[in-house]
This record gives sequence, C-alpha cells and structure tokens, in this order.
Amino acid sequence: MSELKVIGKRSRSEDGLEKVTGKARYIADYAVPGMLMAKVLRSPVPHAWIRELDVTPALQVPGVVAVATADDFVDHGLWGWPIKDAYALAWRKVRYVGDGVAVVAAESEAAALAGIRAIRVAYEPLPVVSDIHRALDPESAVVPDTEAPGQGNLAGRHLVRNGDPDPILAASDVVLEESYFFKHQEHAYTETEGALAIPEPGGGLTVYANDQSPFINRNNLAMLLGLPDTKVRVIQAHVGGSFGGKDDIGYQTCAQAGALALKTGRPVRLILNRSESLIASYKREAMDVRVRLGASADGTLQAARVVLRADSGAYSSMTPLSAWRASMHAAGPYRYQAVQVDADLVYTNNGYSGAYRGFGNPQAIGAIEQAVDELADRLKRDPIDLRLQNCLRDQDVTMTGNRLNQAVPLAECLTWVRERSDWDRKRQRYAEGQSGRVRRGIGVACYFHGSSLGGEGADYATMTVSIDEHGLVTLTTGLTDYGQGSRTVYMLVLAEALGIEKRRIRIPRPDTQTAVESGPTVASRASMLGGNATRVTAEKIKQILNWAAADALHCRPDQIHRDGELFISPSEEHLSFDEVVRHAREMGLSLYAQGKWEMPKFHWDFDTGTGVPYHCYTFGAQVAEVEVDLDSGWTRVLGIWATHAGGRVLFPQGAFGQLYGGIAQGIGYALTENVSFHDGYPQAIDLNRYHVPNALEVPPIDGHFIEYDHVDGPYGALNMAEPTMISTAPAIANALFQATGKRWRKFPLTPKVILTGSDDPDRIGEAECRKALGLMD
Amino acid sequence: MNIQFTLNGARMDLEVDPDRSVADILREDLHLTGTKIGCDTQDCGVCSILLDDRLVKACGLTARHLDGHGVLTIEGVGGPDGEVSDLQAAFLDEGAVQCGYCIPAMVLAGEALLRRNPAPSRDDIRRGLATVLCRCTGYQQIVDAVAVTARARQAARTTEVVR
Repeated sequence: MSELKVIGKRSRSEDGLEKVTGKARYIADYAVPGMLMAKVLRSPVPHAWIRELDVTPALQVPGVVAVATADDFVDHGLWGWPIKDAYALAWRKVRYVGDGVAVVAAESEAAALAGIRAIRVAYEPLPVVSDIHRALDPESAVVPDTEAPGQGNLAGRHLVRNGDPDPILAASDVVLEESYFFKHQEHAYTETEGALAIPEPGGGLTVYANDQSPFINRNNLAMLLGLPDTKVRVIQAHVGGSFGGKDDIGYQTCAQAGALALKTGRPVRLILNRSESLIASYKREAMDVRVRLGASADGTLQAARVVLRADSGAYSSMTPLSAWRASMHAAGPYRYQAVQVDADLVYTNNGYSGAYRGFGNPQAIGAIEQAVDELADRLKRDPIDLRLQNCLRDQDVTMTGNRLNQAVPLAECLTWVRERSDWDRKRQRYAEGQSGRVRRGIGVACYFHGSSLGGEGADYATMTVSIDEHGLVTLTTGLTDYGQGSRTVYMLVLAEALGIEKRRIRIPRPDTQTAVESGPTVASRASMLGGNATRVTAEKIKQILNWAAADALHCRPDQIHRDGELFISPSEEHLSFDEVVRHAREMGLSLYAQGKWEMPKFHWDFDTGTGVPYHCYTFGAQVAEVEVDLDSGWTRVLGIWATHAGGRVLFPQGAFGQLYGGIAQGIGYALTENVSFHDGYPQAIDLNRYHVPNALEVPPIDGHFIEYDHVDGPYGALNMAEPTMISTAPAIANALFQATGKRWRKFPLTPKVILTGSDDPDRIGEAECRKALGLMD
Repeated sequence: MNIQFTLNGARMDLEVDPDRSVADILREDLHLTGTKIGCDTQDCGVCSILLDDRLVKACGLTARHLDGHGVLTIEGVGGPDGEVSDLQAAFLDEGAVQCGYCIPAMVLAGEALLRRNPAPSRDDIRRGLATVLCRCTGYQQIVDAVAVTARARQAARTTEVVR
C-alpha cells in the first residue's frame, strides 16, 4: 500500500481547530431562550424503600416550574439492556447512593437546588449488600426487584469450556493458585454528563446529548417517554471525554431532562456537577479473579482454570457483557492444553457498574499477567523469556480453542519493549540487591484483545456521503467522536478512497435525523467498522463520479485514472473534481451514496462456553519501570515502553494519543484511583479524594506500533483505544514486586496499601453524601 | 460592585456581585464559553485563565479580584482575524487534542509557562501543566506542543538578535 496519500501520514485532527480556540460547544455551552435549569434529587442512602415521596413542597418554591418522578415515565421508567433492571428515576426503592429519585426544573440553578431540598422523601432502610462474596448467600438482602434474571443477586454467568484442565493441573510440575482483586474505576471525563432537551411542535423532542450512542439514546427516550422513535431527535454535541462512561448514565440524564421538557413545554438543561458525576455515574466493575495455572518444570504452560466474580452494583448495565469479555481473555494470550473459566456477576448496593475502556479485560489480563509473573519467579525464569516461551504465535490456538488465522505479532511486541527499555540490564541491576529507602523495579505485561463487539451482538456501521454544488463532500455518521479521533479517521479514509483534498470534507455532528443507525460507539469499533463503512460508501460515490467523468471525456468509466483530484482519460484529457461534479449534476446524477459494512459472521454459544468469541484480535506488550519510597509508600512510574499491534495505523498522531492516554488511565488504575464503598457509601465523592494522574505523574512513554495489513480492516486497520491500557497496571505491579519483593494482588496500590497492605480508612457516610449531593450545606 | 479590568486586551467596566466566580461571569454574563467547568471546586483546573500572566482557576476566583488586573482567556489567545497562535498550531500539529475539554486551559497553562520561562525543560513543562487535568492524552503530546513552541520562539528571538 505504498501509494497511500493521506492514510498513515501526519494530519491535524478534523475538529481540532474549534477545540484549541475554545469555540467547540459542549452541552453546558448551549443556551436557548426560555431554558429551564434542572437538578436531580439523589438518594443519600444505599438501599431503602421509598415510603413517601411528596414533591408538592418543591412546587411551592419560587422559580420551580415542574418536578418529574418515576410516574412520569412509561412503565415507571423501567429500562436497561441487556437486562431490563434499571429506572430513569428510582421507583419504589433506591439501590445505591446517587440513585435519582426526582428531578426539578426551575428558572435558575439556585431555585432547582432549593426545589430538590424541599421534596419530602421518607426512606425505610434495607440491609446493604456490599460484599460480593456474600451477595449470593441465602440470607442476603436482594437488590433487584424486577423479574430476576438469575435468582437473588445473581445477574448472570459466563463460561469457557475448552477441554478439562483439572487432570492436567493435577499432573503439572508447578501449580500456582492466587486471587487478585480489582476495585472499581471511575472514568473521570473532564466534562460531566449533561443534556439539553427542547420540546418540538407536535409533541416531539430534540435532545442535545453527550453520550456515545445517539440512536440507542433515541430509542430509550422514545420508549421511556411514550413517543414514537420518529418524534425524538438526538444530536451529539461535542463530548468532553467518555471512555465508555457516558452511555447509560447519559441516557438517564436525557430521559430526566426530556420528561421535564415535555411536562413544561420549555427547553430544559440538566448538567451534573462533579460530585454527582462521581457518585451517581457507573464505574468499571470491581472484580475478584482467582487463577489456577499449571506449568511443566521447563516453564511450558499446561492448563488454566479461572473463576471470576464481578460487582455489577445496583443495576447490571453493561456488566453482563464486560464480564463476558473478561471470561474470553481470562487465561491470557498463551497456548494451553485446556482452559475453563467460570464467571458470575452479582448485584450489590455499591453504585452501579458498566462500560469502561477495556471492558473486563483490564481485570482479566491484570490477573493472569501477575500470575504468570509469579510463576516466572517460582521457576526462576526471566518474565519476558517465560512469556516468549508460551505466547500465542501465528496459527496458534487461543484459550477459547480458536485457531488464529491472522498475524500474531505478540513475540515481536515483547521483543521490542525488551530492547527499548534496556530490560535485561535493568532487570539484573535491580535484582542485585537494593538497600535504602528508595527501591526500583522493572516489570512487564502483555495482552490480547478481541476486536469490536465479538459475540455480544450485531456488528455493523452505515455511512452516507453526498457532494454538493460547491464540491463539498459531506459524510454523515451515527458513530460519535468523544475525543478518540474517529472523525479524523473517517476524513482520512474518505479523502484517500475518493482521491480528494481533506478541506472538501464536512462531517456534521451525529444527528439521528440525518445519519443512519449504526449501532453503538463502543468496543473500539469506530475505526474498523466506521472506517470500512466510509470506504464502502466512498467507493460507491466514486463509481458515480467515474461515470460522469467518462461521459464528459468520451471513454469508458473503467478507463478513467486519477492523479490527485484530476480525472484523466486514456487520451490524457483531464477534468478537475469540480468539473466532474458539475457534469454529474448536469447529467442529473444523484451524488449521494449510503454504504454499510458488517463484521464477518461467527458464533459463540453462551450456554456451552464454546464457539468463536471474536473475528480477530489485537496484541501488545508494555514494560514499566518504577521507583517506590518505602517510608511514604509513594510509587513513581519512571517510564513506560509500549507497543501495540492492531493492523495498519490510519492517523498516527491520534494513534499515539490513544496509546499515551490509555497508559495514563492504566497508571491511575494501578496506583491512585481509589473507588471504595463502605457499607454501600461511596468514598470517592470529589476529585480531591479521587486522584487522576497529572502531568507530573505520567512519565515519558516510548510507544510503538507493529503494523501489518489485516484483510478485514479499512486499509488494514483493526483497533486500539481500549487495549492500550490493559497491561499497564499489571506491568506496574510486576515492577513493584521486583522493587520490594512483595505482592499485594490488588489495585490500586496506594501508598497506604504499600505501607500497611490494607486500604484507606473509610470515613464517608450519609452526612457527607448528603452534602455532596446538594441535599444540605 | 463596579470593577474595571482588561479582558483579552479590551477595557471592561462591569457592575457585578463581587463574590461571584470569575468562571460564572465569563461564561454566563460575557458568553465566553471557552473557559470550561470541570468540577467547580478547584480540583481539575480546566477553567484556568491567565490573570496578569499568572495561571489561575477561574472557578475559585471571585470578581473582586479582577479589579485593576488583566485577564486572558482562550478567546484572546489567537490573532484578531481568528488565526491561531503558534502554540495553538503546535497543539494541532502534535496531536495534543482529543476531547478538547481541557485544551483551552492547557493552551493557557503552556502560554503562562512560556512567558515565565522561555526555555523550559520537559520537566519544567510538566510542572507548568500539572494543575490542569487531562483524561484523554496522557499529556505527552501536550508537552511536545509546548516544547516545539518554546524552541520556535527561541529560534525567532535568536534570528532577531542576529539581524
């Protein structure tokens, strides 16, 4: 593909200019005449019956215009996918601190706040379910009150059945058995959740939103508000970060604002403040992962059995699917004779969990990559050598029993980070005995990550391209760019496929009224699925242009060749792009095309735990070098070396941005980002208590892409946004083991954990939560 | 309270509640929405502006503190005809922009640093950016953008001296 002109070349991002000048408009930057401000009354207790809910005092507050509750939604606001177990606003009971109970619309934010404080609500406390290991006990209180998907607090199970590992484990020379615990993680996007809902003539609704998946948002809004899909329009504003985090909470926020807009006939804007966002929004699920790993004395991995339990929290949200992805990766990117995995997910009152970058794989890889390191230590083997001995290579069979019919550059990834980090020298130097307060270590972890949705469901995207009389080319997409750079990828693919200058391309904000439904913007699938759909659509419109050019140049369409934007005939006559567009219009041709691309079909059988989970995988490896102060417990990451193999890189600056950004989130996950629940009360209620790494805490990162052309990718590209973070945390834990000789087998490794082995003392209770939620000063 | 200050080079004369936050006044009264709100509790720094060349969090600054001072927001960084500054251009070229929400504050943090320290090391740059949180980029390309701009400005100054 040496002839590529824009793909893989340096490029500015499609929407960077409006962002560096401060002109990009996010939800809170929209204001329309007559707009009301909304505020949600949220539960300050983790589990209780709502015995009384009287909103009439709020309606007496000056400036308050309306209040909505569960009764303002169809079926009391019951919604959720894949399990319908959540409410737009709590009905009958609250299940976590932050659960929305009512929403007030008022002439000002101050009046809305006074409004929620005036609402009379009586809670009758229920026993709190906070320990995932006791959630399935027969005597445990039960969190869901909808038709239970399993029984009690069981929200689902997943399994992998690839042979029988038990006899092999029994016969293995070395068997390692350990449990690893992962706390929740908060997305902490810098922009909080919000919505602007505008009532339309004829009973319709337009909603400006900052979630990820506009068509799912539209369908939920229509269902919850009792409107046909055709009467609800969702427009994506600029989104200030999401990382998986603004879908379900975003849909709830939109529904709350939407109900008030319909009720009042006025536009309603609802923006969550930071504490609300931290308390009410869903998290990466906490997970306990128990690994049994068998190897022969020479270090060859034999079999694995993994049991994991995910904390779904109050609602299942995406946890059934992220726990499935965790199951599909739980034994890591290695060759085995047999693997079995058993996963379950349980309801608790610990907030609620849902999608977050990596989607179960940070925990799966986080566990197995510590376990493999522990095995290397027992066998007195270099951790990279042991991985190279066992890692997946071309034509190998994965832990789920599937032969890899694609490039598998994992060994190359490990070799690259080994050389670039000066691994062998540092590893030896740090092993030679260190004394004093400050110790150093270097650690490695590698990963595989199934591309796109896999067995989760239908996987497709549809784009449209049209060309106007000025030669401007407009692409519509139902997939959202919340910072990951997908708009730029589409611009580059379109420019490449159509042979046009980037300056001609316009991509309107995603809008359910003008774009075509394309499934969710999740699973790092925007480049692969959306990029392919863009290319398919561009090829269609190119045929129309070639036909017009052939007509004007008196040759056959297949005789047209291109030089830049020029269309050239066999007799070397040529026309500019604008001339071809003009001629096509004169011919009455429609310069419009719609194109769809679908993932090749495969099938995973959820009941038997067998089948094909993903069409293809990306691979990668990371090395972390750390320094830890044994007196203070503070760990400093000195450097990260990272390589990712995800096919062809389409947009280099964007790709490196994803790599660096993913690693920064991995550093936070490993060391500082601490979401704890104490009897259901969240401890991370502001950004002072939830520490996101700053510019000094993210070290220089040496990043690299091992590129190849995947046959099913647009110009050979697969995906990358999520996998970039999943081996950062285990690499850091493994480096800390070299530095200290200790393993904590839990994240985050805060100074307190390093010093005492236990978590921070809990101090946040109902009073602090009331304050943080605005219920009192 | 009547306050007089310069905002992006223009003289301002406002009658305001002296205890209101500058972030509110910029966004609500003056419609300068390039200053973003991420927390309103001075933890994230995405509302940062320059007050007399010093980086400050606008959510924690009250109106009374503007009186007699000079304010620069993102709207005042580029040229009069909408052209971007060299630093903004470097953000675009280095791929330093993802979701964009922290970027106005990051541009101002970089600008404040370069005014104070024309030849910063990469560690200096990281220190200069440390009060503004970015959740997308891992900071590396933002550091690159500031470093590239520092070198270009140094080179331009050297050329000037030679001439």
